[in-house]
Amino acid sequence: MDAPVDLDQRIVKMISQLVPVKPENIGRQDRLREDLGMDSVASMELLSMLAEELDLDVGVEDVADVRTVGETIDLARRFLGRKAATA
Amino acid sequence: MSLALVEPPRAESDLLSPLLDGLERFCRAEIRALEIDRQAWIPNGVLEGLAELGLFGVPLPAEHGGAGLPLTDACRLIAALARHDRSVATTVGLHLGLGTRGLVAYGSEELKSRYLPRLAAGKAIAAFATTEPGAGSDLSALATTAFAEGAALKVNGQKIYVTNGGLAQVFTLTVSTPGLGGAQRGTSLVLFERGDHGLTVGPEEKKLGLKGSSTTSLHLDEVRVPAERVVGEAGRGSEQLHHVLAWGRTLMSAGCCGTARLALDRAVEHTATRRQFGKPLNAQQVVQEQLALAAARLFAMEALVQDTASLEQQLPALLARSLSAKVFSSVGAGRVTDVALQLHGGSGFIEETGLALLTRDARITRIFEGANDVLLTQIGAQESVAPTARTPLRPAAPPPAAALATRADLVADQVKQFRSALDERYRVGVLREKRLLHRLGAAVMWREALDAAVRRAFTSSSRGLTLAALFADQARREVEALAAEPADFSLVTQAMRTLESGDTW
Repeated sequence: MDAPVDLDQRIVKMISQLVPVKPENIGRQDRLREDLGMDSVASMELLSMLAEELDLDVGVEDVADVRTVGETIDLARRFLGRKAATA
Repeated sequence: MSLALVEPPRAESDLLSPLLDGLERFCRAEIRALEIDRQAWIPNGVLEGLAELGLFGVPLPAEHGGAGLPLTDACRLIAALARHDRSVATTVGLHLGLGTRGLVAYGSEELKSRYLPRLAAGKAIAAFATTEPGAGSDLSALATTAFAEGAALKVNGQKIYVTNGGLAQVFTLTVSTPGLGGAQRGTSLVLFERGDHGLTVGPEEKKLGLKGSSTTSLHLDEVRVPAERVVGEAGRGSEQLHHVLAWGRTLMSAGCCGTARLALDRAVEHTATRRQFGKPLNAQQVVQEQLALAAARLFAMEALVQDTASLEQQLPALLARSLSAKVFSSVGAGRVTDVALQLHGGSGFIEETGLALLTRDARITRIFEGANDVLLTQIGAQESVAPTARTPLRPAAPPPAAALATRADLVADQVKQFRSALDERYRVGVLREKRLLHRLGAAVMWREALDAAVRRAFTSSSRGLTLAALFADQARREVEALAAEPADFSLVTQAMRTLESGDTW
């Protein structure tokens, strides 16, 4: 399993590929829409990409409340934990 | 045959009936649709007359000179206007929805007192501008940008396809406002006035239809406006935009009902009088079936628009339902006008008959205010992430409509199964399977149209029940087809490779 710092960086890098913002300017508090300029479809796509890259079994309803970079990271961490527990 | 094939939904306020009567008299006397199309211009007297009738202030707040009527009434009036001319209906509808909704819902008291009285009286016309050369449905690509400069904003950019651009005195624009209101890449709604230094309006676009409706570009070159011109909280433009668009789409959908109603009336009239093979056209089964299905679809369109407009006070529900209403009404208007033109035979193709104009005017509605394909994908994504909570119709159905309500509940179950199947198979990955979201979105749309039609039938006569039953059959078939296995996407990919390589076949 990824070390916490690596996971943060990996997710931030993934986000920076979707929006015209450099990874060093993306922080945990940033809102996907208002601060990073993603529309609702792009922010959903991010979560879908995340699940694929990290090989997580995320249900579509699980992503409904994710609004910020921090919440995205927390979601990934939660599902990684779940995956480790069932492995 | 009477034009009243379907009775309109009941009036919602006491003020509506006299307004509708006055509007009908005025339109019959003053509006010449073919002339407006030929001249690509609405005579000033028409807009002035509509202003005198109070049309420009229908849903605007009474304390600022409007009539304060509900959105349902505004929709009825726009539909009535569209039965006479779609360009005129678009000009007024845009003013009532996209043009003024942001100001009404979010504007400061100062902004409202300053602009609304003139707008409500029709002494000033409103426009709304969001599309840019590089940004259509994608708001994150907006290039029109405002930076704070002391107490002012300095704005540069360009907007295209601005409806009412050539007529408006007041413009609401979506503007990228980095840093404003604490949002790093926020968007805001900002008001501009014709005459603001540096703001220029481009020439009229030449279009396929809606020729009387003004469409221009808008150029902003170092435009300085006071920061108070930001509508509501800075940086909240994206949320505000969804609200404004929901109003715009609902009123636009009402216009589609008017167009379709006129086309159907014309087809009913023509097929009753035109004789072929020794009998009127409408004695042919094939003609009867097309007319009946068109009427059933129109019954559902009108129901869905009224249903959507009635959600004015429940914003999240209005946003979601207005997407379905927009797509369903625009596709329906296209379908009904096409059927009407076809049933007119060769005369339908001649401009003087008027069916060609209806067809041309309806075409844009599948594109503007959110391209239908984008909206269907959005509906599908929303349904995937947070499925609509739907109350079964059967328990509330009056006895004559019980079987019909059951059929609507069965269609809803089919949509639910479709969604679950996608969730099981793709999990969150479904959000990248856009063609499947698009199909799910379309299925949701048919369900919502059917629910609205059935609820309308609960309170209408047996004619309403018949049309709703016919529509239920159509909706069931559509949903079944959408939930069936789609085309093998690897074939699509291969075909795309052929197209991109430029090879012949």
